[in-house]
Amino acid sequence: MIKCPFCQTPHVDGTLFCSECGTYLLDDDQRGTDPLGTSEIGWVGAPAEDPDAAGEYRGTGPLAIRLTIGDHKRVVEIPLNKAIHLGRLDPASDVFPEIDLTNDGGLEKGVSRRHARILKREGIVVVEDLGSINGTFVNGKRLAPYLPETIASGDTLQIGRLLIEVELRS
Amino acid sequence: MLSHPTMKASPNEQACYVMLEISPSKDLPTSRLPLNLCLVLDKSTSMQGVRLQQVKEATRQIIDFLEPEDTLSLVVFSDKAEVLLPGQKNVDKALAKSVASTIQPSGGTEMLQGLLAGLQEIQTNRSDMSVNHIILLTDGRTYGDDEECLKQAEWAGLNQISLSTMGIGADWNEDLLEKMADVSGGSSTYINTPRRIVESFKATVRELSTIVAREVSLAVDLGENVLLHEAFQIAPHIRRLEVNDDNMIALGPLGTNNRKIIVLELRVSRTEPGTKQLLRLNVMGDVPTQTRLQSNNWTDITVNVTDDPETEVVIPPVIITALGKLAIFKMQEKAMQDMASGNIIAATQRLETMATRLLNLGETELARAALLEAGRLARTGSLSSEGRKKIRYGTRSLSILPKEL
Repeated sequence: MIKCPFCQTPHVDGTLFCSECGTYLLDDDQRGTDPLGTSEIGWVGAPAEDPDAAGEYRGTGPLAIRLTIGDHKRVVEIPLNKAIHLGRLDPASDVFPEIDLTNDGGLEKGVSRRHARILKREGIVVVEDLGSINGTFVNGKRLAPYLPETIASGDTLQIGRLLIEVELRS
Repeated sequence: MLSHPTMKASPNEQACYVMLEISPSKDLPTSRLPLNLCLVLDKSTSMQGVRLQQVKEATRQIIDFLEPEDTLSLVVFSDKAEVLLPGQKNVDKALAKSVASTIQPSGGTEMLQGLLAGLQEIQTNRSDMSVNHIILLTDGRTYGDDEECLKQAEWAGLNQISLSTMGIGADWNEDLLEKMADVSGGSSTYINTPRRIVESFKATVRELSTIVAREVSLAVDLGENVLLHEAFQIAPHIRRLEVNDDNMIALGPLGTNNRKIIVLELRVSRTEPGTKQLLRLNVMGDVPTQTRLQSNNWTDITVNVTDDPETEVVIPPVIITALGKLAIFKMQEKAMQDMASGNIIAATQRLETMATRLLNLGETELARAALLEAGRLARTGSLSSEGRKKIRYGTRSLSILPKEL
């Protein structure tokens, strides 16, 4: 017998998909999820320390966001020049989030593959839940799916049960 | 094709999936069978305007498509049915078109009347060779005669008459239309905008003109310690298949460009190292140009069983893709069941989960529909009639598979 990691429904060995929630049941076998270090996933495009490059980013407001993730306090800093997706890497279903939470205990903490995204709109940094199963929370308040919510330095972001501290960098 | 070409030896029950494709053999005659077609059209008041206009246009195009040996009859219904064009071969196209253009909207929707008149026409004009088919189009709910409609559809199925049921707009009963199509070996279509009427009619008739075998069925002979858990058709669209007591699965008619892809979910227990026979399969069908055809060679499907724990079991990606879509279809089925039994919370959660899965597949539009309906369900305890159909027919047609297995 095997158990669905999401809804705990028991299934016969060899079952491929959970009949209750549609989860792919072989995900546990670390299928396709290569460990990526902070340095490998974090930076997209030019580094934000370079003031000239940073000057090219459109809009005003913070230039980058620094996230302190989970119990191990993994720190990721990413420029806000494009949307940052949070989730679990899954090449099989073509999911490549900028921030892969697999190694932060993503699966056990109920992180969806496409869970949430952070982006800058007219100088304001917002987080948007992408219809995740277990929800996205800002300071303990659950967000409605697809409804962006403003975040600021010192806020606690919760992805499923995974806690992330937010700091905006100018 | 097998999900697990190699299985681990185990005393426990294991799941294993068989995916197979059924397409007509090259030896089958490709000459077109004569159609015996009846259009049964709803002319109730609600069809007024662009709907009826499009129906007339679709009818005209079908008339143009017909060959001299085809038979066409035309029935319209509201509270009562009327045979506008009795079935005839070598249809006088100009006359038929002018008859079609005289349809005037009036009255309510009583489907049974139309269906009975249509069946009568088909029966009068059938021959041993003909492909007997009714295209039934409605935009409303029929009152009080649901059960009788379904009975007639079953009867039609037994008498080699298939029904294509088409619903337009949001007010028709998808449970009934889908069942009627299923029991008769036809298919049902959701037409969300009148502009798609012509296209749907033409697709159906084109499909009919390619039929080479009727009443195709799959016989399954299971090996020792093997159970057939569930069976699904994956393509042309996803549907659950009924397995009868003799392990026969009815698949309906087979056309030259209508490959059927079937998934069988097996439960295998007490596997020991060596080669194990899982099952034998045989396809049978009625080819009107020949005597009853039965391919005599059963196809054996075997699996290697190993007790080497190091062996890595590689599951073909095609099967993973297909089953992933099937999983969403099953969730949709369950959500509808939850709702029917009054378990609104469970149904809402399921729709939300479904939306996530759909997003993962890149089905953004369907995902949004599911989320929207989940929200509505949580607030009001019911789905919108339109959303229901969108989700149902959307998940059904999820399956897009690579050309070759």
